Order: sequence, then structure tokens, then C-alpha cells
Amino acid sequence: MATESSEGEEEGKMIGGNQHLVVDDDLREMAKKAAWSVSSCKAGNGVLLLRDDNLDTYWQSDGAQPHLVNIQFLKKVKLQLVVIYVDFKLDESYTPSKISIRAGDGFHNLKEIKTVELVKPTGWVYISLSGNDPRETFVNTFMLQIAILSNHLNGRDTHVRQIKVYGPPPNPIPRQPFQFTSREFITYSSVR
Amino acid sequence: MEAILVDSVLGSLRHFLHRNAIFICERLCAEFPSETNLQLLASCYLHNNQAYAAYYILKGTQMAQSRYLFAISCFQMDLLTEAEAALCPVNEPGAEIPNGAAGHYLLGLIYRYTDRKKSAIHHFKQAFSLDPLLWAAYEELCLLGAAEEATAVFGEAAALCIQKQHLHHGLASQNLQTSIEDRNLVSGRNLSSEDVSPRQLKHMHANNLREIPGNYHGAAMSGATASQSLNSGPSSTGFYNTPSPMVAQLSGVAPPPLCRNVQQNGLNPSTVGNDSSPRSTVNPTIQAPRRKFVDEGKLRKISGRLFSDSGPRRSTRLAGEAGANTNPSGTAVVGNGTIHSSKYLGGAKSGSAAFRSVTVRKGQTLANESFDEGTRQEVFDDSRSYISAATSTSTSTSGDPKSLEQDEATMTIGGVITSTSKIINGAAEVLNLLRTLGEGYRLSCMYRCQDALDVYMKLPHKHYNTGWVLSQVGKAYFELVDYLGADRAFSSARQASPYSLEGMDIYSTVLYHLREDMKLSYLAQELISTDRLAPQSWCAMGNCYSLQKDHETALKNFQRAVQLNSRFAYAHTLCGHEYVALEYFENGIKSYQSALRIDDRHYNSWYGLGMICLRQEKFEFAEHHFRMAFQINPRSSVILCYLGTALHALKRTGEALYMMEKAILADKKNPLPMYEKANILLGLENFDEALEVLEELKEYAPRESSVYALMGKIYKRRNMYDKAMLHFGIALDLKPSAADVATIKAAIEKLHVPDEIEDNL
Repeated sequence: MATESSEGEEEGKMIGGNQHLVVDDDLREMAKKAAWSVSSCKAGNGVLLLRDDNLDTYWQSDGAQPHLVNIQFLKKVKLQLVVIYVDFKLDESYTPSKISIRAGDGFHNLKEIKTVELVKPTGWVYISLSGNDPRETFVNTFMLQIAILSNHLNGRDTHVRQIKVYGPPPNPIPRQPFQFTSREFITYSSVR
Repeated sequence: MEAILVDSVLGSLRHFLHRNAIFICERLCAEFPSETNLQLLASCYLHNNQAYAAYYILKGTQMAQSRYLFAISCFQMDLLTEAEAALCPVNEPGAEIPNGAAGHYLLGLIYRYTDRKKSAIHHFKQAFSLDPLLWAAYEELCLLGAAEEATAVFGEAAALCIQKQHLHHGLASQNLQTSIEDRNLVSGRNLSSEDVSPRQLKHMHANNLREIPGNYHGAAMSGATASQSLNSGPSSTGFYNTPSPMVAQLSGVAPPPLCRNVQQNGLNPSTVGNDSSPRSTVNPTIQAPRRKFVDEGKLRKISGRLFSDSGPRRSTRLAGEAGANTNPSGTAVVGNGTIHSSKYLGGAKSGSAAFRSVTVRKGQTLANESFDEGTRQEVFDDSRSYISAATSTSTSTSGDPKSLEQDEATMTIGGVITSTSKIINGAAEVLNLLRTLGEGYRLSCMYRCQDALDVYMKLPHKHYNTGWVLSQVGKAYFELVDYLGADRAFSSARQASPYSLEGMDIYSTVLYHLREDMKLSYLAQELISTDRLAPQSWCAMGNCYSLQKDHETALKNFQRAVQLNSRFAYAHTLCGHEYVALEYFENGIKSYQSALRIDDRHYNSWYGLGMICLRQEKFEFAEHHFRMAFQINPRSSVILCYLGTALHALKRTGEALYMMEKAILADKKNPLPMYEKANILLGLENFDEALEVLEELKEYAPRESSVYALMGKIYKRRNMYDKAMLHFGIALDLKPSAADVATIKAAIEKLHVPDEIEDNL
């Protein structure tokens, strides 16, 4: 299982998984308007099931590894968190084990930004995209690709039940360089 | 038998026993089938909220009243085309619209809801000219932006109209009034001390005589004159020595003479009013406290009791409804009244003053009745503020002191002239009141809010402290972006009439802006428990959730409000706001457009559309929408600011700066235009000016992180790294949002690196 190396990003082993999806209030699901696509899928287990908010349905791949989930946004967005629901107890050998997250402008210049290794996860797995630098809290990108490099027990195909992508909320006032914090500004900033 | 049945039905309706009425009426129709009886049955059903039943009964009928009732049922069932056909038959273009003013009003509403604005305006104007007390028609005209000045509209012609309407009512009703007034005269006698000298009264009469001919001229005295006359104060009998100025007052011009007039014992504005009446539309809405008579309280109580009988009857008459309930006892007084009035001409007594004031109060009461039945008692008790001048000459016929001592029954100041002038006075008083309210409403619909507030201030406390007026005041403050003032006004409105829902949706928005989630949730709960089926309650609830950032639930609540009343424009607008917050822009656009279809003067929707276009970077459209909003409400600094932003995005920086200047002038307290101005100047590379503006802005909003961040950015561009560092640091200290933290920190890191092309910096 060769891992693609990246400059400075480490691998991490993640154990377990949360039963509940708990996300900070100041994060927003970003991928509602994005274009989702997968490298391959079995009939009846397509890409829609990744986004149907139903943990019983899953996407099942049907091809060679690495299995890819591509998310293309309408414009460059800031992303902070990727959350994946996988369940070893139900999926066993279909459960992903090594996941690589890549970002870029399109298929031609994706660059890996994060790699994680899961160990028997059951539930929501949080993968933060932030770097160590405060400057790198967000990843500013047109496209995100989640590559499943390998599965548990050397399974070929993979099951993923749900994926969510989070980022900071947009400025409620468009065309402003910064967001307003004080009451006076906020009161006058909109008509209701 | 027919008469008995009809009586029974009418009685049941009067007592709100609708089911009984329906039953008896069905028997009536079975026994004596006639269209009139059918109409009665239909109106029973309408009273019982069964418009569909009335619809089926009246379908195809041709009599005017039937057509009108049929139109009402269609309207309630939302069958606008049929309603229109009924009121205005296609194959009879010359047919008269049934029920005059009411018919025109209904037709106007139909046209308004089917987007035929011009016809709607035409019909509302007709309705209004036929019945000047049809406030609803004037309201609609204001909402459509086509209302004329209240002084013109509630002026002479209107006075004449009301007079004509009510002169038709039998003497009996007049006599009723006169008998009451006589009784008041008696009670007036009790007023001691500040009695006017007989001499004064004599003058009064002299003037009265002169004025009787002047009765029919009607006049619109400006509110200014009225306010003058409110200076109730003691002494000064100068007024009586100068009949001529009083005549001059008839033209409704000279405030000074009025003032003088006011300064008398006991007479006060009421006297003044007398002189200037009937032309005097000396505003009853003046608020100066009247001189307190020693026995004023007593008088009021007596008059209160007396009025409670006459009040509703008179008010119904004034409201132009048919079927005055004439008081049988009134008739007895008729003859006597006429006789007495002539006798009184010579006399002089303070009683007359009190009498006048009493009449005035009555007039006011009536005016009140039209608006708020419930406050009748208050009116009686608070007559103090009602220094309406419009008491007519003859009514104020100063009673002969001796005659005052006579028995009530004999002391009827009846007679045609008296009652006529009474009506004239009453009409004038009512019109005064309506004029102020109408002007205030018109101004607030045109978003000239400061003027509207000034006009509303002229109302007497009695009227000012009613739910309707206070919510209008609250709305005016809201449009001025003075949310604290609005909060105060609305909470007084809630206290004045806790069950009124009018304007509570705006109140909830005010609380939303003030971020008072406790008060807002309390308001929402109260409203829902008051009326679960009112759109305003659900709007308040939705605002509550929106404040908590739970936009999905807020949206559901607003959609419920829409379902309850799809013609409630604000609910649509709020839905639009929530869609935008959830980033469902297409639905947002749809919602805003529905709101605009209902009321295209709803500038919030135009603003919402503009914001969506800004976000989607369709700047031309954004500018267009903001401009539409600006045309409707040219005083809103927020709209001006966004218009400027759109222009800046279109690279029309000159115009953008101009807009920002206007916005800054429009509202000194709005920090946004200055910030935007600095932004624009930065774009123009005019760093020094930008910094100046931002320095000033720091005074206004010292804890706003974006100000410092922008300053840091500018210093960075000027290569003044220390200052840049300082400002970025302060910006970070003020806890900006996470995204901004990242941006600012990145900027700090790159401080000594020449500017790269980045998204934000």
C-alpha cells in the first residue's frame, strides 16, 4: 500500500468513529451545490446515496483501486472539515482503510493535502483539512477529491455511507472584504 | 308575519345569534320568497362566515344590494372575476355600482388584487369621495402611493358630504343629540368659578349669528391654527371684544387671534372653535391641556353616561350605515328644542362653554367610535384633551342662565339649524381627526417618516395612545432605523391594545434587529396564543427562530404565515430572506417576486432581490433593484449604501461615492456608508482619504474589527508596516470571524512580502 507522499502532511491513524455528527456552529455544509462524481459504482448504489442523509444506504464502488469521489464546486470555496460515515461492523472488508484527500483546480492539478488511515471505524470520522499554520485553517479550492486507497482486510471494493464537507459561512454581506463584528455595523448592514 | 320574522332575524343578528337568525330567515324565505328576503338570508350567512352559502343563494340575482352581497361572498371565496362581474356587469357598462362607496371600495380591492392599479386607484378615489369616512379607501390609496394630501382630501368637500349624509337622518336623531346637549347644559351649569362673563357670551352670540351663514363654507384650518388654540389659559377676555378677528378666523388663517381667544376663563379653545367653526377645522387634535374646571370631573361623568347612549347611534350614523336607531325619547324633545335655541341667543353663561366643550367631546367621541369602539370610555373620561374647536355656533348657543335651570325635557336646543350645525361641527371634528391621521399615514407610506412622526405628535393623547396610532409610530421609527424608539412605541401599543395584531410583525423584526431574543420569543408566544391563524403571529415566531440561526424552522414558520394569508406581502419577503440565508437563491427570488406582485411598494423585497444579484455578481440587475427600492424609499441610508456598493461593483465609482455621501448624510448613525466609502477610495488608490474616513469611523464604532483590518490593509499598501501591524493586531483582538482571522494572520505573515494577487488581500 504505497502512500503518496506530500510536502509536510503527515499520515494519521484514526481509531473509532463518532455515533453523532457534531459540528461547530460556525461551519457550514458547503457541498450542496457542488457536482459530485465517483470513479465507479455498482448499480443501485450510486453517488446519490452518498448525499441522501441516510446512513443505511451506501455507495459501492465497482472497479480498480483507488476509488475516487470527486467534488467540484461552482467557485473557489474555503473548506475546513470533511466528515465520512463508515462502519466496520456492517461493511467489514468493504470499509475504507486508507484515505487520501486531494485538492486543486481540476483533475489535472490535484495535490494531496491529507492522508488518514482508519482502523475499524464505526461512525462519523472527522478529517480536518487545516494545517498547523493559522494561515492554513482553510483550503481554498475549486475541487476536492477523496481517494480511497485501500480497504480493511484487503477488500477490493468499498462502501461509504455518507460524506459531508464543511467550511466557514460566507460573509452575510456580499462584496465586503471583512465580516462585521460590532452591533452598530450589523444593525445597519441589512434591511429585513 | 313577514314583518315579525324580519324583525326577529334582525334582532338575532344584532345579538350575534347567527344560527337563530339563519333558521328564522330560512322560514322567512320559504314563506315569502322575495329577493329582499334572500338578501337577508345571505347576509345572515355572511355574518356566520359562511360565504359559500351566500354565494349559492345570490347567484344570478340582479338587485343592487344582492349584487353587492354576492360580490362580497365571491371576494371572501377568492373568486375575484365573479365578484368583479357582479359589481360591474360587463354587458351594462353604465350600471351603477351598488352601495356607492362600499361598492367602489370592494371593486377597488378586486382591481388591486388583480394587478390593475389604475382602476383600483380610480375606484378608491370614488369610494372616498362618496363617503369621506371610508378610511380604508384612503389607506389603500396611500399604500398604492396615490393618495393626495390629507388636508385636501379631508377638507370642505368631505365636510359637505358628511353633512349631507346626516342631514337626511330624521329629526329624531338630531333631537336626541339636542336633548343630550341640553342635559349637558344643565350639568355645565355646575361648572363654577371660571365662568365666562356674560359679556363674553354675548359676543359669542353675535359671532354665532354671523357664523350661521358661514356654516356651509367649510374650511380647512391648518393644524397650526389648531395648535395655537390649545393654549388654554386663564383670563383674557380680549377675544370677546374683537368680533372682527373672529370673523377673520373664519377664513382659518390667523393663529394669533386664536391664541387670544384661548385665553379666557372657561371658554378656551372650545369657544375659539365656535368662532371658527364650521369652517374651523381647528384641529381637535391639539394637545394642550384644557383649563381644569372645578367640576369638570363631574361634568364628564355625567356626559359620559349620557353619551353612552347617544354615542353608538351617532357614530353609526356617521359611519354612513343605514338604519339609525332613533331614540323614541328624542322625538319628544323636538319641538321644545327649537324654541329654546332662539331664547338662548341672548343669554350668557359659562354653561355654554361647558356645553360646547361637551359637544366637542361628543364629536370627538364619535370620531373615536369610528376607529376604536373600545376606547369610548376613555374618551369620556379624558375629554380634557379634546379641545376641539369645532363646536358650532348654534349648538353653542349659550344657554340663558335661567333656562339652564329648567328641566331637562324643556331644555332642548333642538331645531333644524341647531342640529344641522351640530352635524357640521361633528363632521368637522371627525374630519379634523381623520385629516391628521390621514396625513400621518400618507407620509409614512411615502417613507417621510420624520414628518409622519411630527404629524402624529399633533394628535391628542387620547388618540395617540391607541394601538393603531402607536403601531404606526413604531413603524415610522422602524423605517428611520431607530429601533429603540420603535421598541418603545410598539410596547406602548401592546399595552394599549394587547389583542391587536396590526403591525406586530414589524415589531418582531425590530426585536430581531435589536437581538432581543427573550422579548422576541415572548412576543411570538403571546401572539400565537392570541391568534393562531394570523400571519403576523407566525412571522414573529419565524423571526424568533431566525435570530437563533435556525433558518429551516424559521422558513417553515414564514411559509405557514404565507399559507394563512397569501396576500400578506411581508410574509413572502421574510420567506425570501430565509431562503437567501440558506442559499436557495432561486426560491428566494421567487418569494421576493411574490411579495412584489402583492405590493410593489414593498421596498424590502426589492432590496432582497438586489442582494441576491450582488451575491451572484449580476451587478447590473443589482443596481436596478436597489434603484427601485431607492425610488420607493429615498431616505433609507441602508438602501443608498447598497446602491453605492452596486455602482462600485459596476466600476462607476463617481456615482458610487456620491451615493455614499448621500447615505452618510441621510443617517449619521449608520457607519456602513463611511466604511464603504473608504473601501471605494482604497480601490481608487486614494489612500490618505480612505484613512481619514476610517479614522473618523473609529470614533463611531470603536470595537469594529473590520475597520482596523481595512486600515491595516491600507497601511500595508502604503508600506507603513508598523502601523499595519498595529492595526492588524487590534483587529485580531476584537475577535473577528474565523475566516477573517485566517485572512488577517496571513496578511501579517506576508507583511514584508510585496503584494501578491490574492483573493481577499
